[in-house]
Amino acid sequence: MTNNLDRVELSLVGRKRSERLFKFYGFLGILIAFLFLITILYSVISQGQKAFFTTFIKVNIFFDSEIIDPQNQRNDEDIRYANFNKIITESLKKKFPENLNKNDSKELSSFISSSEADYLSEFVVKNKDYIGKYKNMWLLASSNIDVIVKNPEMEDLDEEDRLISDKQLGWLNQIRLNKELKKELNKNFFTKADSTEPEQAGIWGSLVGSFLTLLITLILSFPVAVAAGVFLEELAPKNKFTEFLEVNINNLAAVPSIIFGLLGLAIFLNIMHLPRSAPIVGGMVLALMTLPTIIIATRSSLKSVPPSIREAAIGLGATRFQSVVDHVLPLAIPGIMTGTIIGMSRALGESAPLLMIGMVAFIVDVPTTFLDSSTALPVQIYLWKSTAARGFVELTAAGVIVLLVFLILMNGLAVFIRQKFEKKW
Amino acid sequence: MAEKIKISTKKVNVFYGDKKALENINLEIPEKKVTSLIGPSGCGKSTFIRCLNRMNDTIDICRIEGKIIIDNEDIYSKEIDPVLLRAKVGMVFQKPNPFPKSIFENVAYGPRIHGLAKSDDELDELVTQSLVKAGLFQEIKDRIHEPGTSLSGGQQQRLCIARTIAISPQIILMDEPCSALDPIATAVIEELIDELAKNFTIVIVTHSMQQAARVSQQTAFFHMGNLIEVGRTDQIFSTPSQKKTQDYITGKIG
Repeated sequence: MTNNLDRVELSLVGRKRSERLFKFYGFLGILIAFLFLITILYSVISQGQKAFFTTFIKVNIFFDSEIIDPQNQRNDEDIRYANFNKIITESLKKKFPENLNKNDSKELSSFISSSEADYLSEFVVKNKDYIGKYKNMWLLASSNIDVIVKNPEMEDLDEEDRLISDKQLGWLNQIRLNKELKKELNKNFFTKADSTEPEQAGIWGSLVGSFLTLLITLILSFPVAVAAGVFLEELAPKNKFTEFLEVNINNLAAVPSIIFGLLGLAIFLNIMHLPRSAPIVGGMVLALMTLPTIIIATRSSLKSVPPSIREAAIGLGATRFQSVVDHVLPLAIPGIMTGTIIGMSRALGESAPLLMIGMVAFIVDVPTTFLDSSTALPVQIYLWKSTAARGFVELTAAGVIVLLVFLILMNGLAVFIRQKFEKKW
Repeated sequence: MAEKIKISTKKVNVFYGDKKALENINLEIPEKKVTSLIGPSGCGKSTFIRCLNRMNDTIDICRIEGKIIIDNEDIYSKEIDPVLLRAKVGMVFQKPNPFPKSIFENVAYGPRIHGLAKSDDELDELVTQSLVKAGLFQEIKDRIHEPGTSLSGGQQQRLCIARTIAISPQIILMDEPCSALDPIATAVIEELIDELAKNFTIVIVTHSMQQAARVSQQTAFFHMGNLIEVGRTDQIFSTPSQKKTQDYITGKIG
């Protein structure tokens, strides 16, 4: 007896050692994953937060009546056609009393975003009293200036590597000294669609595009997938044909998403002639992709409902369909919802199939219907990433932040639903 | 004893796939009496009871031969709708399985799907009556809208009985209804079975021979898919005619 215990004790050393080793490997794995996560989050957030703010320059604008309205007609159309770029340049020049040549004034005018001339003309149309007067206004800086202000380390670069010339840098420093520079919330980013000018580009257009697309995806895939899942799991006879269907649905879930894009291109665009780049087509393609995911989630959550509940209902004389609809399905709903949201958040992050159906275009307007041309969040990030202008670097990272926020929100919702509605029995 | 026969089975064979689960079962079950089915695990008694309300229909690989006649009708003939049959032959399961809904909803579900109550008041009355008959009403009358799953095991099983009698079946099948309960809850259920036998034909599967002796008037002994012996309960337990029955009730097999 004692002999036996000794042997057990001896073997215990080895057993405990392998357990410790296993724990260590597990911990190491988690640590590495965590480090990667921190690295990604740090690089994205440190870049992206810069795009949430943008630079404004205070300019004492002189609304020169000679330029705006030489005939003194106060006619809206004439005012709109006036050269407001010149007004901005002339007003900027007054900041710097030294003599500026023609080239200098061109460099100076590039301080202000091209959108501000339109802004001023609208302002004057509404406030005609200002013609011939001065007004201090904060104007949106151009992207190059904005990038330098946000990344001070770039000032130390050589002139040719920097986005602005030595002379422009000098002016910028002078503006900064005069406290005529401020950073404010980047409204364009949250309200506009894409633009060739980084300071005028926004995420809103693609956000709306993604929303419209996902709405179509949800409307198409959820009812069909739940019905298919319930049918296959609860009502269909188990035979070779349903087995075949089951295998194929599982395979479909593993098909690369770009294949669904090709399918959408071939059928929805080339055969059905639906509009290119439209959320309705994007939604249909993503619905195809999401269907198997929701079917599988539906089936597995139906499977996890104890059979005793079905027996109870059937034993009372409920039909098979009644037992499912009245008892089994309500218990499976949390699982189905969770699966659906996970599927939807996958669809939100999907870009490949959308490229295939043309949702990768340069779209300046925020879409308002399912048929408008539009992009989606991940595609917009891809578009910005592949644009040369330096100002898009921060925008790309900011787009990633917005996408991540929505993914986290959706996954959080899935967790919430699962915990809130899960019934115990 | 002039008994009316409620259920009779003729040459019933049951297969699960290729495996024969029951062989040549010929059994007559008298009306408004308690018949208990005893036998060791895997002897086919649960399979048999689940044939009586066609619960085995839900198992794809299950196949049944022979005739099961209830009130002069073969329940496996094509004209019989299994859903209608189950309204006539209720069932109480081994493990209490209330729906995860309120006590009221549990009992009201059967009458509701069958359209047995014309008004809400009638439904209330039916639910109350069923709970009274199942001996549960006094204990839970203040919390009738609380979840059925919050009751104790014995109360849950009585809730399941109340749910079954709410649709006024003629026959109640009980598949080891007390196997998950403590002795006190078991005693309450057994009393209830005595009471119910006045109005219902009851078939009960049990592992406990004492229980069979206490509650039933007729006992059938199953072994390895065969019906070995059937007779009056006192007779089976005192003077069984078969060696196997003798061995089982004295604890030599099982």
